Amino acid sequence: MASVRIVNAKKNFGAVKVIRGVDIDIADGEFVVLVGPSGCGKSTLLRMIAGLEEVSGGEIYIGQREVSHLRARDRDIAMVFQNYALYPHMTVSDNMGFALKLKKAGEQEMNDKVARAASILGLENLLERLPRQLSGGQRQRVAMGRAIVRDPQVFLFDEPLSNLDAKLRVQMRGEIRALHRRIGTTTIYVTHDQVEAMTMADKIVVLHDGLVEQIGTPLELYDRPDNLFVAGFIGSPAMNFIDGRIENGEFKAIGGLALPLPEGLPAGKFAGVELVYGIRPEHIRAKADGIQGTVDLVEGTGSEVYAKLDCQGQAIYCLFRERIQIEYQQSLCIGLDPSLVHIFDKATGKRVVV
Amino acid sequence: MISTDRAVPSYRLAPNYRPFVMPALIVVCAVIIFPWAFTVWMSANDWTLGQARTFVGAENYINLALDARFWESLWHTIYYTALAVILPLFLGTIAALIFDEQFPLRGFLRGVFVMPMMATPVAIALVWTMMFHPQLGILNYFLSLVGIEAQGWIYDQATVIPSLVIVEVWQWTPLVMLIVLGGLAAVPREPYESAEIDGANGWQKFRYLTLPMIGPFLMIAVIIRTIDALKSFDIIYAMTQGGPGTASETINIYLYNVAFSYYNIGYASAMAIIFFILIVILSFVLLIVRQCTVWSQAGDGK
Amino acid sequence: MTHKILGRIGFLFAALVFVSPVVLFFLWMLSLSLKFEIDNAAYPPVFIPEHFAWSNYVKVFAENNFFRYFWNSLLVTGTATLLALVIGVPAGYGIARLKAQKSAIVIMIARMTPGLSFLIPMFLLFQWMNLIGTLWPQIIIHLVVTVPLVVWIMMGYFETTPIELEEAASIDGATSWQVFRMVALPIAKPGIVVSFILSIIFSWNNFVFGVVLANRETRTLPVAVYNMLSFEQVSWGPLAAAALIVTLPVLILTMFAQKEIVAGLTAGAVKGG
Repeated sequence: MASVRIVNAKKNFGAVKVIRGVDIDIADGEFVVLVGPSGCGKSTLLRMIAGLEEVSGGEIYIGQREVSHLRARDRDIAMVFQNYALYPHMTVSDNMGFALKLKKAGEQEMNDKVARAASILGLENLLERLPRQLSGGQRQRVAMGRAIVRDPQVFLFDEPLSNLDAKLRVQMRGEIRALHRRIGTTTIYVTHDQVEAMTMADKIVVLHDGLVEQIGTPLELYDRPDNLFVAGFIGSPAMNFIDGRIENGEFKAIGGLALPLPEGLPAGKFAGVELVYGIRPEHIRAKADGIQGTVDLVEGTGSEVYAKLDCQGQAIYCLFRERIQIEYQQSLCIGLDPSLVHIFDKATGKRVVV
Repeated sequence: MISTDRAVPSYRLAPNYRPFVMPALIVVCAVIIFPWAFTVWMSANDWTLGQARTFVGAENYINLALDARFWESLWHTIYYTALAVILPLFLGTIAALIFDEQFPLRGFLRGVFVMPMMATPVAIALVWTMMFHPQLGILNYFLSLVGIEAQGWIYDQATVIPSLVIVEVWQWTPLVMLIVLGGLAAVPREPYESAEIDGANGWQKFRYLTLPMIGPFLMIAVIIRTIDALKSFDIIYAMTQGGPGTASETINIYLYNVAFSYYNIGYASAMAIIFFILIVILSFVLLIVRQCTVWSQAGDGK
Repeated sequence: MTHKILGRIGFLFAALVFVSPVVLFFLWMLSLSLKFEIDNAAYPPVFIPEHFAWSNYVKVFAENNFFRYFWNSLLVTGTATLLALVIGVPAGYGIARLKAQKSAIVIMIARMTPGLSFLIPMFLLFQWMNLIGTLWPQIIIHLVVTVPLVVWIMMGYFETTPIELEEAASIDGATSWQVFRMVALPIAKPGIVVSFILSIIFSWNNFVFGVVLANRETRTLPVAVYNMLSFEQVSWGPLAAAALIVTLPVLILTMFAQKEIVAGLTAGAVKGG
């Protein structure tokens, strides 16, 4: 086990800058999720840590050792691939023992370690099977078993759940977390799914266009997104963004809609500055004397009601956890909790500090 | 920023695949590149084996242009190739359409049909020679059964090339069939169903759906067949050696005679180069035609 | 339902029409090889003789040094194929991984060049090296056919095997040689089988190289059977028997490995020579 430190890492593919200077500190034993939309460079960054891609600039440390230019096989890491990458011609136990075989470990040691990993993952009865005889979830477990057997300093996961169906994905999510809790190896996990990131991570790194947008715990990112990108990316359904300015201690949207401001905001300081007002759909309540709007769209799932409101030409999405009866084109009044409002500078996209 | 000044590491992270290719590179240089370079050099010399060699520049090429026997062999080659491409293409496509359907013994019959292609050409050629025999051959016996007079086959200057092509067709129609069969396997089902609804009959479906869709595959078959037919040697050499007279002497046979009967190495080298250039040009023309068939497929469906 | 069955019988019939020249040819070949000269010269032809001339086969081996030529063929084909695999399989792997598609041009050139063009310079080279009279010239020049064939088929094969497996292996601690030997190679086994079979067949069938490079002692079977025609008195029975002996191993291989051959030929659409 070891910490991982990434210092000003860069990666160019020809003229294309995929990673443009990334700094990340990962403590020993931490479960870190790299998340971002497709093309943000998260998989490339993971492959750089793994030693599958060369580093164009900067350094990568595992523990005290700089590994930026070491080959993958010398880095003492294990990786679980998106499509599992199980060796199709080897049995489950051979797959799991392959790394030890390469290290010329003894028969006894190999069998012991494979058996221990198999029991952790519930694979005891499948050891003599070939990968093609396994289900998707079982293959996923074998891929993890292959990583565990290595007892590496760092686990790397590259979108490991994206080939599974929704139900299995939720189950495996829990299993990977449980595994981490049990063996405690430093883990770097790449996904494009923010729900996966929120549910699994000790710490999330949001990547966008080859740069780090924000690093923090899931709740920090949810409660205090640093910028518009993180605010829009984390949370489902996505946060409402409303363009406007501060006038007379109120937020005036472009259509003229007036919205309450959080307390303690030095309103005077931002007079005339173009701002973006952010409020999560789930932080909006039905409120008799609130802002009035017309219902444009209603979707009920039974457990919640999702609605789109037209408030003076401004579209606002709301998520009600209680069951309320609303109809298309009906008028509805809503209230916002000012303490849950986020204000961003439109020009820089940065959060305006309260 | 100090770190960027550091020397570039002396090795790459990516595995080094060059050692895997090296042995093959050496072999390719030894048995393909070197012979070609050597041939180009020899073609600029007047050199008959066992005699003195003199540098003559382009003289071999000029002589070749004035050599009536060369032009005659070129004509034989074209005649032979045209027949040996068109007939297998036609028959192979029909065979592919048949073998694309479901019927009993399909796999077994396809296996039998493929056998001529793999059989040893010389062995095949000898048996065909016996079958072509004017007096004792079984082919003339069959003709007599249906009332056609006996033919001279490969022993007659007029019929020798078509007769040789019969063997070529018999042997290589299966290859065309396999290529077209591969094309048919890639054809999607839906257009046929929608054509069925539109009321297309069998011929219309073939003409407007199947043919354009397997067009690129037919062109691959044409290219491969053309290259192989131009190079054809075993069958012709084993059955007629270019005869009777020089009636079936293709460029390849003439080349053999010049090189290994007369040992006129310089002249043969020039001929080999011209022959190769012919093959390359023809292949490229066909490749370009193939590109066009691929485009028209995506175009107005014509 | 009935017209579907009728349709199937119709296609079966059509297929039989196409296959019949093949079947009739080989049956006639067999018939020729089993008849005495009297029957072979009879008109109208005799299809199934009263007495089988097994002696034709005995004669082939007794009078023509055929065991020697069979052994030569085995040595040339076997060595040329094994060398081609040893050289060509890693090369196919390297080319696929380097994405060096341009090197395929060399293979195309080899494919388009008439075998005779290689023969002129190589013939001289072998003379200078004093190799004429041994089997080496034939083995080496057969590589012109077998190496490009193996490289071509293996290249296509390795391009379709997922690179993640090899990345996983290198993370597991394998050197690039170990990655090749323990992961890439076992997965490509079907491709190796295909290129092995096709290489054997095209090398075995080759005639033109032997015609130029072989002498009385170093003939391969196709050359030997051709020489029976030109230098002995022509008797059809033994000649047909010899032809059958030459091509029978290939036909048997074709029968058993039909699937691999079809796969290899349609994938690469290659032919030697």
